[in-house]
This record gives sequence, structure tokens and C-alpha cells, in this order.
Amino acid sequence: MSETSHPADAGAPVLWHEPAGAAAAEGPGRDRPPVLLLHGFGSTAELNWGRTGWLRALHLAGARTIAPDLPGHGRSPRPHAADRYTPARLVEEVLRLLDALGEPRVDVLGYSMGARLAWELAAGHPDRVRRAVLAGFGPADVLGGPGSGPARQAGPTAPADDPFEGPFAEVFRTAAALPHNDPAALAACARGQAAHPFTADPVPEGVPLLFAAGERDSLAAGVETLAARVPGARVVRAPGRDHRTAVTSRELRSAVLEFLAPPGDVTHGDRTRAARPAGR
Amino acid sequence: MAEHTFLLPDLGEGLVEASVLAWLVAPGDTVERNQPLVEVETAKSAVEIPSPHAGTVARLHAAEGATLAVGAPLVTIDAAAGPDAAAGPGIVGTVPDEEPPARRVRLRPPPE
Repeated sequence: MSETSHPADAGAPVLWHEPAGAAAAEGPGRDRPPVLLLHGFGSTAELNWGRTGWLRALHLAGARTIAPDLPGHGRSPRPHAADRYTPARLVEEVLRLLDALGEPRVDVLGYSMGARLAWELAAGHPDRVRRAVLAGFGPADVLGGPGSGPARQAGPTAPADDPFEGPFAEVFRTAAALPHNDPAALAACARGQAAHPFTADPVPEGVPLLFAAGERDSLAAGVETLAARVPGARVVRAPGRDHRTAVTSRELRSAVLEFLAPPGDVTHGDRTRAARPAGR
Repeated sequence: MAEHTFLLPDLGEGLVEASVLAWLVAPGDTVERNQPLVEVETAKSAVEIPSPHAGTVARLHAAEGATLAVGAPLVTIDAAAGPDAAAGPGIVGTVPDEEPPARRVRLRPPPE
């Protein structure tokens, strides 16, 4: 199949994934599955996970990472049709990436929209997921709830630049204003997501879940209620942080690294801080 | 040892300022090259700023919550001797790694 017969925007979206520093497969982490990182709406793997220090922290903890740019984002293709961005379609793309990389099973860490995808991945394909972390995410349907409007404006006359109201509006405006983003692709992505509002039924079974969010994250409102529906699920909250700033929180990162640490690794934790000269 | 004052780097995306969310180091701390020094918040996101030098933290130039312009002094480090000591401020997240270039994976669309 040549690329010329399938221009990037004509066929299924393809995911851009640039492995970074994924060589640390020694020590207690050598048997752990890689960590699949799914970024939030309007972000990229680099912005969500690179610049925030997550990739480095995971590599120092001995994990390999898979951090794609989702369709419509970063260096992945940017189709303008909403049906290319439904949760099921995006999960399909992610599974295709894992298949291409030869990874039967992963830990998944998603932020915001990426957390919704992590939920769907864990619920629909529990055989592919060891553990899942859903960060910056709650049961409120921010993309399709009352007032957000994109589903009702999904026709050809829908304005491409700012079709949203409600708590998601600020997220959309911020994302659309970033110079690397394509507002029409992002609007299509939001409509594709909104066409399939989140429901907590069925809940993922057999996959341990950790929810992580800033205490002041309005998009994660009610996450405790959602977690209570999932047997064994835990919630960690970062004091003082909101949807934007929770992503660099030490509290959240330490909790996530501990949650994802392979069995028997007693030295888990955030190793991005240099060891203090204690006794040597 | 030589003192190097590290300036708030270019944050990209046309951003001209950032505020300090949390310091991850304190004066007297020994830091490694690439070790995160501080979390900063911009209008678009939060990022971690890694140290361009190995050395000892001498002074922090902004309190948590303070807003800094790009190019303003951020932290002064007594840099350990070595080639790193000459490194100037770069773009955030661009402290060069010693890792080899990454392999790129780009999936083709499936046959339809």
C-alpha cells in the first residue's frame, strides 16, 4: 500500500509516534509492559508528556513508553470529518499502533480526552491493558453535555472556530489558538467525541484503575462518584491544581509511578530528583 | 565552581511570560543536568524546566506564584566544572539528551 494511493487525509488516520529514550529496560522494570500515553484534546504527546517531565520520569523508572499524537493533533493527519474522531475510531487507531509495534499488552495513562480513550480501551479490550490511569477526567460529559452544543451544531453550517459553550469552551479556545493546531480538525474531533457521550456503563472489569486529578479541576468534577462505581478503583487529587496545572503535579506523578510500578519494585517513585547525599 | 544564572527560557507558542507553580529545588541542593528545577504555568499549559547545568543551587530569583517574563533570571547555580557549565538558556525542554536519535514510527492506512 503506497502512501500516494492513500494520502494521509483520505484513508484512516495514522498515528505519529516518536519513541523517546525508551531504552531503559533493565532492573525491576524489564518485565513490565510499556506505558501507552494518550494526550488530551488539543495537546500533543510532546506538550502533554514530554515538556511536563512524564516521559523522563517513566524512563527513569525503567518503563518503555508509547506516546502517539492522536488523529487531528501534532504530527498525525488532521481529517475534518467528525466520524474519524469517535471514541471507538480513536481506540481502533491506538490498537492498530500497538499491533504494529508488536505490543500485546500495555499500561495506559490518559489525560482528559486521552483518559476517556483509556477507559474505553480498558472496558473494551481488557486483555490489552494491565493497568489504567485516568487523569484529568470525570463523569461530566464536557464534550457533549448541556450547553456544549457541538453535537447539535454538527451540520455543515457549524462554525469551525468556536462552536462550544460551557466548561469545555475554554479548553477548545486555548487549543485552537495554539499555532500548531488546526481549528477545523479540532472542531471535528470535538464533534466526533460529543456524538458518543461518555457513559460509565459498562465499567472496565479486571483492569485496576487509578483516577488522578487536580482538586480544582472542573473537568474532573465527580470523579470520586465515578471511581466508586468501579470495584477497587482509587482516586488521587493534587491540592491546588486545576485541569491545566495538574499535569506537572508531583503528588499525581508519584502516585501514578507507584501504581504502575511492576510487582516487586520497592524503589518505585519519582527518580527525577537527584538522590540527596545521605550518608555517602 | 562558577555561578551561572539561568534565565526563564523561551516557552514556545508565542508565550512571553510564565508564573512559578512550584520550586522542586532549594538553595544548597545539588542538582544534576536535566533534573527538573521548577514547574511553571503559562496561559496554555504547565511545564517542567530542566537544569542545563550540574551543580549546586545558589539562589532562586522568583517566589512561587510570581510571574516572570521570558529572559528574566530564574535561578542561579554554582555549576560544576565541565562542558555543561558553558551551556546557555535554550528553549524549554531542549536540554540535549545523550540518547541516540529515536526511531520514528508512522503507520500507513490499512488496505481498504
